[in-house]
Amino acid sequence: MSSWLDYTINGLIVGNVYALVAVGLALIFGVSRLINFAQGSIYLVGAYIGWVAVVRLHTPLPLTIIVVAAAAAVVGLIIERFGLRPLQNSVRIAPLLATIGISFVLDQLVMLTFSPNPRALPSQLPDVRFQLGGGTIGPLDLLIAGVGLTSALLLFVFLRYTKLGWAVRATAQDRDAAMQMGVDVNRVNQAVFGIAAALGGVSGMLVGMYYNQIDTAMSLQATLKGVVAEVVGGAGNVPGAVIGSLLLGLVESYGVAILGTSYRNLFAFLLLVVVLVLRPNGLFVSARQAPPEPLTGTFVAPSRPVHIPRLVLLVAVAGFALLPLFPVSFYVLQTLINAWLLGMLALSLTLVAGTMGQVSLGHAALLAIGAYTSALLSLTLAVPTGLAVIGGGLMSAALGTLLISPSFRLRGHYVSIATLAIGEIVSLVILNWESVTRGPIGISGIPPLSLFGYDLISPSSVYWFSLAVMVVLALLQGRLLSSHLGRSFRAIRDDDIAARAYGLSLNRYKSLAFIFGGFAAGISGGIAAHLYSYINHETFNTQQSILALTVVILGGLGNVVGAIAGSVALVGLPELFRIAAEYRILIYGIVLLLLVRFRPQGLLGTI
Amino acid sequence: MSNIDRRTLVRGSLATMMAGAAFSRAALAQSAEPILLGVSGPLTGPNAQYGAQWKQGFDLALDEIHAAGGINGRKLAYQFEDSQSDPRQSVAIAQKFVSDPRIVMELGDFSSPASMAASPIYQRGGLVQFGFTNSHPDFTKGGDFMWSTSVSQADEQPLLASYAVKRLGLKKLAVLHLNTDWGRTSRDHFVKAAKEYGAEVAVTEGYIAEERDFRSTLVRVRDASPDGLILISYYSDGALIARQARQVGLKQTICAASSVYSPKFLELGGEAVEDVHLGTRYFPEDPRPEVKKFIAGFKAKYNGQEPDAFNAYSYDAMNMAAAVLKIGGTDRRAIRDAFAKVKDVSSVIYGQATFDVESRRVKGAMNAELVVRKGQFALWDGKPT
Repeated sequence: MSSWLDYTINGLIVGNVYALVAVGLALIFGVSRLINFAQGSIYLVGAYIGWVAVVRLHTPLPLTIIVVAAAAAVVGLIIERFGLRPLQNSVRIAPLLATIGISFVLDQLVMLTFSPNPRALPSQLPDVRFQLGGGTIGPLDLLIAGVGLTSALLLFVFLRYTKLGWAVRATAQDRDAAMQMGVDVNRVNQAVFGIAAALGGVSGMLVGMYYNQIDTAMSLQATLKGVVAEVVGGAGNVPGAVIGSLLLGLVESYGVAILGTSYRNLFAFLLLVVVLVLRPNGLFVSARQAPPEPLTGTFVAPSRPVHIPRLVLLVAVAGFALLPLFPVSFYVLQTLINAWLLGMLALSLTLVAGTMGQVSLGHAALLAIGAYTSALLSLTLAVPTGLAVIGGGLMSAALGTLLISPSFRLRGHYVSIATLAIGEIVSLVILNWESVTRGPIGISGIPPLSLFGYDLISPSSVYWFSLAVMVVLALLQGRLLSSHLGRSFRAIRDDDIAARAYGLSLNRYKSLAFIFGGFAAGISGGIAAHLYSYINHETFNTQQSILALTVVILGGLGNVVGAIAGSVALVGLPELFRIAAEYRILIYGIVLLLLVRFRPQGLLGTI
Repeated sequence: MSNIDRRTLVRGSLATMMAGAAFSRAALAQSAEPILLGVSGPLTGPNAQYGAQWKQGFDLALDEIHAAGGINGRKLAYQFEDSQSDPRQSVAIAQKFVSDPRIVMELGDFSSPASMAASPIYQRGGLVQFGFTNSHPDFTKGGDFMWSTSVSQADEQPLLASYAVKRLGLKKLAVLHLNTDWGRTSRDHFVKAAKEYGAEVAVTEGYIAEERDFRSTLVRVRDASPDGLILISYYSDGALIARQARQVGLKQTICAASSVYSPKFLELGGEAVEDVHLGTRYFPEDPRPEVKKFIAGFKAKYNGQEPDAFNAYSYDAMNMAAAVLKIGGTDRRAIRDAFAKVKDVSSVIYGQATFDVESRRVKGAMNAELVVRKGQFALWDGKPT
């Protein structure tokens, strides 16, 4: 069938586009073992600088490319110097969080400068089309392929055959040893960030021209697809990233061919999970190579947690419990309800990520499972809402653990990426499984919470209910952490080989952590569903997962009180910045960066 | 109500006293202080562009309202709270507005999850939630404080189907739609109407809002060999699909929903959107006086920029709010009741807008059949393309 040829060509064309981002990500990962979530933002910045050059300054294409590359490289150097270098000796997770903060700041700056309206970025190449299969390709397709392949090739040669390239690889293998051998590690990092950023900027511009459209929402999508392609190819492997991108494009295209357009991303993320499970180092990294992640617990730095006297905690809980008796506005109560709901999610994540060392980036999926279960139980089976919420928690515990279990054998960053993919898969299944979830229409008319026949409708009653549930979950978790089980969890986090040698079954303990965590998150999602009365597949999105992780790191990994304090802070801060309107997310990003910079172990420290 | 206990009563009376104090102060300053509307919508986040467009429409309408003497002599103002179209933030904003005695009515939110999550709070708090882009069929079922001027897709899609099937003579259609609550509802209404008019729907494809690459989707469309493509899209994705359709060599007639009606559609689509047909609620050379006034005013205020569909929705919404306040005053319940009383409010979208009290929506949107000719929207002259 000639259609299959067309699907193949289309897959390669779009894979070509993904490759531009993936190569930059791979380069940075290769050197600093860091998934640079700001790469998509540099891509965005490049697209808008390209727009200024083309539309305002009318530069010819070669000059445009040089201008964009240079400007993006400067942005990259600034990020490296002021955003990441100060975090060199801190926790491994801190730079990851810093790149998320930097991407907030860059995206917001672009949005504030250029307004969020999409713009046209006209291509400066002649508009000739070549027939290929049933469709056509243009000169821009060739240019993108050229830039992708050439840069991959150049990087490959650079890393293999030049002195600086050797230094880069030496730094990647063992930073301390490289330093002892006289490698100027900072210079290497600078070079890598500069090159990767230049590439990112140019790719943003080229992709903008390709679609004749740039907008501020393009950054997150670029990062997501780039990360998938990079990991499929083998993190840190530059030629692998190109092949991974083409493969991703093909799988998506065939996915559309077989099941239809709305299944496209489902195929992309399934590919990622399958590759991670079968070949955790990626398709093109030989199994002989040393695992790219450290064996022992440097991902989460040990620190001395801040000791909070029990009396203070009691007073704080009592204070919050008595709050609705004072004339505070419902707005304050509602904001705190949001904080308690996020707090339950953060408790779940801090157990899984902090205590157990499985940093999940797809935690919102657990909320969604809990919410849908509880909503459907109460709507279609008329289960009382109190029981339905518990049902949501149980379903989330069971289904969440089952879904996550393939990633139990992964480590470090790979767990994060696998969970990110699983989170996306859950959301896409909700979108497409219309007979159960009602697809994009969502579920409306979800009854409000009720307990023993009393409807919890007033803000104070919902407030008390969610506060009580959160406190109970927190107490349970605190008990768990101080038990034998909690010590086993931490042993696995700190050194899984030693733990295994000691006779601990890793999978069983990981399952236990996810069962408990899934329950707390599912309860939170269930309460949210009854509170909102309407949910659809967008209610619990990736931003929620990232927010939850930010809360957990801010509070201190594994720290129960920290998770709750972090939730109050991160729900409260954007509300406090309301006065700043459009600027509030920018301010939030800056505050986040400062926190990571000056308190990377979290406000209350890791336990 | 079973959930009232003594504490809430005590607090309730405290709140009443405070509100009372605030009210007497407000009464003193009645002429000086503007009447305040709350707006909940996206100013940051992935939907920020729509919040920015809302503001343009609101501000233009406010200028005109004030030039005409305001609301019974008082000025009108709005407080725009950024929700990022996130239900967690829209519910907090809802409580904020409900407990702020200065706010007399709320407008928004943008997306269905954000709007409908806040509905129970507005309903219980007795504050009108006036959703002017909320086409979700269940939005106004949230309660009698939910009102909407959003064009019902049950109204709009048969018009588009009639344009495509009866006027353009298309017989075999491929429908591409945004896979959101709006796109899905629209698709269902469109397919139903198109079949009634005797056309065959060969394939329907739903895509997510972030999608940019449609080449493989278009191969599916090609293989169904339709004689027309129907786009149930917003302007940015609509332009992308049109461009890629032409690039992969599809030459069929394209017919799009009114939501692509924006100068951005022309800018982003370039030559590829030439000859694209679309149904809209108004058009540049529209002889209706309210449209002329809107377009002229908009261009004068925003440096010659052409208004688009979302500008028109928010402009109409602010005018509707003003008309309602003129009848209902500043009492929240009276405002709700006034929605049922306003008659024939001048509107870009409806010509004259009157609410159907049963559904709390407005019926009978205007319809114009446009086509893109030489990079401009023009009234279709009936000639085949």
